[in-house]
Amino acid sequence: MRKKADVVVIGGGSIGCSVAYNLAKKGFKNIVLLERKYLSSGSTGRCGAGIRQMWGTEMNCLISRGSAEIFKTLGEETGFGDVEFRQSGYLLTTYDPSQTERLRKNLAVQHKLGINSHMITPKEAKEIVPYVNTEGMDAAFFCQEDGHINPFKVTFAFAKGAQDLGVEISRYNSVTDIKYKDRKITSIVTEEGEILTDAVVNAAGAWCKEIGKMIGLSHPVEPERHQILITEPLEDMMGPLVMSFAHDSYIQQVPHGGFIMGYGNPDEPKKINFNHDWSFLEQMAKKAVFQLPVLKDVRFVRQWAGHYEISPDGQPILGSVPEMDNYFMALGCGKGFMLSPMIGKLIAEKMAGEATSLPIDSLSIERFAKGELIVETGVV
Amino acid sequence: MRIKQHPVLTSIVKKEVEFTFEGKTYKGYEGEPIAAALHVNGVRVLRHDHRPRGFFCAIGNCSSCLMEVDGEPNVRVCVEELREGMVIKMQEGKGKLKGGEA
Repeated sequence: MRKKADVVVIGGGSIGCSVAYNLAKKGFKNIVLLERKYLSSGSTGRCGAGIRQMWGTEMNCLISRGSAEIFKTLGEETGFGDVEFRQSGYLLTTYDPSQTERLRKNLAVQHKLGINSHMITPKEAKEIVPYVNTEGMDAAFFCQEDGHINPFKVTFAFAKGAQDLGVEISRYNSVTDIKYKDRKITSIVTEEGEILTDAVVNAAGAWCKEIGKMIGLSHPVEPERHQILITEPLEDMMGPLVMSFAHDSYIQQVPHGGFIMGYGNPDEPKKINFNHDWSFLEQMAKKAVFQLPVLKDVRFVRQWAGHYEISPDGQPILGSVPEMDNYFMALGCGKGFMLSPMIGKLIAEKMAGEATSLPIDSLSIERFAKGELIVETGVV
Repeated sequence: MRIKQHPVLTSIVKKEVEFTFEGKTYKGYEGEPIAAALHVNGVRVLRHDHRPRGFFCAIGNCSSCLMEVDGEPNVRVCVEELREGMVIKMQEGKGKLKGGEA
């Protein structure tokens, strides 16, 4: 491992790899990415593999829209090849008028920003997803340009792009300490030794707090466990991802043929917890069979758990912090994978001292202290 | 092909039943694995997925013998017991679910 770097990126998920790749593209020369296990092992590789633009805040909409554009060409641009991007759509369903009203308000934000989403009737929802149960459904929302992408392939594509541009990726290497003087981080201490560095990016996702503590900062971000399962593969039959706000769940058939589905319990204690349990299986099966009765005899193959890093307003935390001069945060906060292309681009622009493509200063961590929160209520 | 006598399983009660495979009627014993009944009748190819797939692990692990039984896809016939009148079909690829298309 190099002993000196211009930038150290902490975290080898989709965001860390995207940041490293975008920094290298910007012309940053000596970049080291640190990952405590293997690439995508934290949250990216455990996620539901959906990408969505139907958000309720302008910044979430803009970042996800920009990311969808980058996903289209990512495989080709990095020379990685197919990343399984399918704009097969998201179908959001609501079961009471207050949910419908909330999502209908979000449509106005989306339409202003050019996102092609629609409110539809339960009957129209059934035309899009013939298997969906419309019993009790109040309304549905559909965006064809949302869809699926393979989280592993995306991470590996960013990593390949980064490595081809000279980035060193150090796997199975945890950060154990960070040395700093006044307002500057001077070096990162890892299991494999110390790296002197000019700048640091915290892309540690659900573990970002631990990194913050090493420089005496308390980041208001908590890991929230989400459980998920996949069924046996079946011939392609569904198309869109079905997300229900009444069930707080999502169900999607992935290109391999299996159905991925999951939900999290926001009332659980916030901590890293990779355990998964029977009660999830029972509850998820009930939610899935209610929404898509055709799945009743389908066998599930395995289940697992991962984490959303939850910020107080459900929006990403990007950019610099008031206490440090050379420390940057790149956190997706519950949807990091699907926002990773734009987050990487924006952080690279910010660190290069350029004007950013989107006004990310509103997503600085300072907003929590100042109370300038714009709350995203639609994270499932 | 069949074990007629066994030193431990001394009282195997066998009831012959009929089932169909790809529209043709065959005979097997009630309660034996479907795959065993097919095997004894000379059926070796159980599924097509890029290439023919046959009877492989025989303990429900490998997914090689997934077939359509009474309209349900992805049934592991090596561990599913045979019953009178079962309609068994070769499965193409990953299996298609029935119902709900309306």
